[in-house]
Amino acid sequence: MGTLPGRRLVLLLPTVLGVVTLVFAFLHLLPGDPVEIMLGDWAAPADAVALRRDLGLDRPLAAQYVRFVGHAARGDFGQSIAFRAPVARVIADRYPATVELAIAALLLAVGGAVPLGVLAAVWRGRALDRIVRLASLAGVCLPSFWLGPVLMFAFAMRLDWLPVSGRGGLAHLVLPAATLALGMGGILVRLTRASVLAALGEDYVRTARAKGAPRWRAVGVHALRNALVPVVTVLGLQAGALLAGAVITETIFAWPGIGRLVVQAIQARDYPLVQGCVLVIGVTYVAINTAADVLVRAIDPRLAEPA
Amino acid sequence: MAPPPGGLVVAFDSDPRSLDPRFQTDANGARLGDLLHVALTRADPTGRRVPELARSWTMEDRRTVVFHLRPDFRFADGTAVTAADVKATYDAVRDPALASPKRTALAALSVIDTPDATTVVMHLTDASASFLDATGLGILPAARAREADDVTTGAGPFRLVSVVRGDRLVLAPNPYYPDGPPRLDPLVIRIVPDETVRVLELRRGGIHLLEDAPEPEMVTWLAAAPTLVVRRAPGTSFVYLALNLRDPRLADRRVREAIALAVDRDGLVRYVLGGAARPATGLLAPEHWAYAPAPARRHDPRRARRLLARAGYPSRGRGTPRFRLVYKTSAQPLRRRLAEAVQADLANVGIAVDVRVYEWGTLYADVRSGNFEMASLAWVGVTDPDLYYLAFHSTMVPPAGYNRGAYVSRVTDRLTSAGRRTFDPLERRTIYARVQRRLAHDVPIVPLWWEDRIAVHTRRLRGFEPSPSGDLRSLATARLD
Repeated sequence: MGTLPGRRLVLLLPTVLGVVTLVFAFLHLLPGDPVEIMLGDWAAPADAVALRRDLGLDRPLAAQYVRFVGHAARGDFGQSIAFRAPVARVIADRYPATVELAIAALLLAVGGAVPLGVLAAVWRGRALDRIVRLASLAGVCLPSFWLGPVLMFAFAMRLDWLPVSGRGGLAHLVLPAATLALGMGGILVRLTRASVLAALGEDYVRTARAKGAPRWRAVGVHALRNALVPVVTVLGLQAGALLAGAVITETIFAWPGIGRLVVQAIQARDYPLVQGCVLVIGVTYVAINTAADVLVRAIDPRLAEPA
Repeated sequence: MAPPPGGLVVAFDSDPRSLDPRFQTDANGARLGDLLHVALTRADPTGRRVPELARSWTMEDRRTVVFHLRPDFRFADGTAVTAADVKATYDAVRDPALASPKRTALAALSVIDTPDATTVVMHLTDASASFLDATGLGILPAARAREADDVTTGAGPFRLVSVVRGDRLVLAPNPYYPDGPPRLDPLVIRIVPDETVRVLELRRGGIHLLEDAPEPEMVTWLAAAPTLVVRRAPGTSFVYLALNLRDPRLADRRVREAIALAVDRDGLVRYVLGGAARPATGLLAPEHWAYAPAPARRHDPRRARRLLARAGYPSRGRGTPRFRLVYKTSAQPLRRRLAEAVQADLANVGIAVDVRVYEWGTLYADVRSGNFEMASLAWVGVTDPDLYYLAFHSTMVPPAGYNRGAYVSRVTDRLTSAGRRTFDPLERRTIYARVQRRLAHDVPIVPLWWEDRIAVHTRRLRGFEPSPSGDLRSLATARLD
């Protein structure tokens, strides 16, 4: 049956093909013509006809689809209509910024949420637990379009500690990463707390304590290891969403990532660029979740399917 | 990132799509294109063509224009700009293989001769009074004019140093610029899509100049900052209500006039725009050379009600509208507020308005295909009054032109056709004055306002003048103290 990553790779192809097909179909159902949007008011119909022919948009939809898939299979996503540059190059320009922001947000979220979730579980019902639960609820509830400007106003405008927006050094990362991390961290704290609480009630933890394992070991090694299984699974889904583009956060902080690019591409009806982005996002999503599955099986080998 | 010393940071809301004059169609691309390239002529604030690369031009006859070039312009790589570069650029744009969106604007051009390095002779296929409007095309080096990829090498005051898509563009002075290289070095264009963030960055000093008018309340907040100065200039962007005359109700001139009388333009300008506009009477702003004052239609709901009753739509009692109209608008906050205000004004005369908000691509497609009853639209960058032909001649219904409301008038057809064949400026002015009066009578659209240009910048910036069209040309002579 092959290894898990191998099986996932085999599944990747129909998954991505399905997503791309759906996106292709829905994009072409949208009202609006990329050529008219691109040329604006000042070009005559003859120009529109010529450009439509040049871009291959005058062909039947099925022919356009086959052409796109055929080229994509060879790594050629075509030419962006709006940017007049190869789609691969446009995406390559923007993707590193998204990866950078996603990694920073993940590190912040995991680094804060897992320890806090464990502490809240261990000290269940005490002041710290209440504070952590309240804070995590707030993190989940506060939308990024509100949280981002508030953080910006407090830390950039009032305190003058951090830059307002843009991509530059480490300081530029803090506010957008924190905006993303607070929402994701809220979910992870609550999940970690619940999973650790469940694990603490298991026989193997009691056995470990009965055999003389110190409390930190019973919690940090025995309980946490098992509690991490759902946490890693959710983390995989969250990380995928981050890499798919945190559109609002990227827009607020003028972060030149792929989320903003997809929105721009949709507004311009830039079909090749939207399709290229979806392809990259789809592959990333599956790859991250495959990595999460592998990690889950490493944490708990019982979850591995029999060969 | 802190602004570089000596450099100026300007904020744009989105990436320019192309910096190549052969392909540039968007407003931000045009604003940067102005800084990177020179054209034979450019429009002054009154819409007249003034010399740029061409120091002068003469009409040999109705079909021949001779341009005499300045010999001192050089591209950013140091090579001189010659008649051969002009010919190569124009020929490239006219080549269907390049698929340039500017090709049709040069449809009247037949042959270009270059008898010497500083003379360009353009032969036209037909007499076209608006042809000079097409000579605002930026000139590229002849050797690169046919490249399929974007070419950004120009002879403008600045040269392009680097582009990080979605983030920033860095420009530096063109050392060969004949009127003296700019003193702003570098000129950084930052892409900041969110308006609130642009305003915060400006207030904190992360950017120095914001040329797109922020919301009125934000302008007030910015004006209170001691480090900033708010500059206002009358603008030429014209905002109007498009009416679809295919609709039998809107085909009736009395109904259209009633709508125009019901809309409180002064109120809109005061309350929706915070006073940052002038109530409009037509497409051309008062500064334009062809502007003719049309009788102002004052807010008069009583007369509007009478006109509606006369048109066969009597009052049906409180709470029951005479009829309903669908109003389509983009999702831009200002446009949405406008829609709500118009909805209230029309409700006051018994017309119920259903506001539908669309993303721009969808709205544009609907307007082009005639799938609307009423919509808020704008004309930006109007220079030659030949636009009246394209927007109101009966043959110019999309896809042929921009007569989106399918307005038909023999008088307007005759006048706008005459306007494009008449070369004498005084005669043209008379013709377009009649066009403006005719349109004010027929009300094929409801003029709303001419938007003011509002620029906010650091007090350290000297020599910058906001232009009516929003171009940034004065940055070539500005400095940062």
